[in-house]
Amino acid sequence: MQIDPLISLPLIFFLSLLIALFLYLVGRRVGARGEESANKVSPYACGEDLPARKLQVDVERFLVYAVYFMIFDIVAFILATSLVTPSVFPVVYAAVVLMAVLILLPLWRRGQNGGHARAT
Amino acid sequence: MVWEEIVAFLEILLFPGFLFLIALALFYEWVDRKFFAKLQNRYGPLYTGPSGILQPLADFVKLLSKEDIIPKAADKFMFNSAPIFLLSLPLLALFLIPIADLTAVISFEGDLIFLMFLFTLVAVTVFIAGWSSVSRFSSVGGVRAGFQLLGYEIPMCLVMIGPAIVAKTLSISEIAGWQASNTAWFIWLQPLGFAIFVLCLLAELEWIPFDIPEAETEIVAGWMTEFGGPKLALIRLGKDVELLLAASLITSLFLGGPNSLWMIPPIVFFLLKTTCAVILLTTLRALFARFRIDQMIAGAWKYLLPLAILQIIIVQLGLAR
Repeated sequence: MQIDPLISLPLIFFLSLLIALFLYLVGRRVGARGEESANKVSPYACGEDLPARKLQVDVERFLVYAVYFMIFDIVAFILATSLVTPSVFPVVYAAVVLMAVLILLPLWRRGQNGGHARAT
Repeated sequence: MVWEEIVAFLEILLFPGFLFLIALALFYEWVDRKFFAKLQNRYGPLYTGPSGILQPLADFVKLLSKEDIIPKAADKFMFNSAPIFLLSLPLLALFLIPIADLTAVISFEGDLIFLMFLFTLVAVTVFIAGWSSVSRFSSVGGVRAGFQLLGYEIPMCLVMIGPAIVAKTLSISEIAGWQASNTAWFIWLQPLGFAIFVLCLLAELEWIPFDIPEAETEIVAGWMTEFGGPKLALIRLGKDVELLLAASLITSLFLGGPNSLWMIPPIVFFLLKTTCAVILLTTLRALFARFRIDQMIAGAWKYLLPLAILQIIIVQLGLAR
């Protein structure tokens, strides 16, 4: 039985949200009610008394992977949408991108090593 | 006219709909725990129901009945809504996969790309869940989940496109149908793609060796640390539904989907193949130790991605038909 996906997709998403909400509300209804205490609502720190603060994340070492992620994501979706004729052009495109990455990578490394100190 | 729509609605709710999918997800959690235990020479769930088969349901109900504690420093809206999305997004994705019939309940040209989008959304929701529960362990776990997404997403997308290129369609139901009508499964047409896909699914499910975001021995429970009670119940059910999603994706993309063989209904074949996929994932989970996050990303970009590109080049050159 095939329903038009323009209708069925939002309908099923809405239904699954409803079911998740329903289960959650059943849980809150049935669940135990405790008393408030300062320790209960402080973040878990294995018993130590650390204040809750948002951490500063070190993204520097993974920034190069994020850039490559962006490039290859585009390559992947160009490949995906060129399905009609499995011709040589997407392969050429992928090969060019691969060569560009292979050429850029040692240059990037050399720049990183010669520049500021590496953060471990 | 109205009768057909009522039947369709009942199909969505019951079979193969929400009730069946959630029950199947709980069943596969039992399969996973029992097989994992057998590999480790212990019993696994034993007492609840015959051979412990009701244990996942018992865990779910127990967690639902616990107190729901919200940390004072947490971002209320995102903290409350993340578990709901973590359950509903995999449930939505399951409707794109043919389960009881040769075409899925939702099937359109391009639903493979929509499925990839849902996978990415789940990973981003994990990051939001970890970030909004303001705690050191949660933040580190959420950030590691985000980095892990950077690693496995591209090889997974590329090897999912491999079968799509051969079947000349971007619809999961039609890829399964192509395998059925040509009696050629992609597991032997594209074995490299299958291996990479299984590894990337392990990373997406956050299973050992890629359970870095919730590394128990390192950061307590990672991004799930501050969630408890009904929220944790929803998150765990979401993980089980993701396992069902991963196993049924392996079935439809590489193992031929639910094709029927004279009188046997397609659902039987679907269950058989998906159980084999779950057992394969569990075996890999039992065999390996955990990677570090930088090992994981570096390994994904140095090994998985070139192999995935090689697989695509092999497919494009016409060698994998």
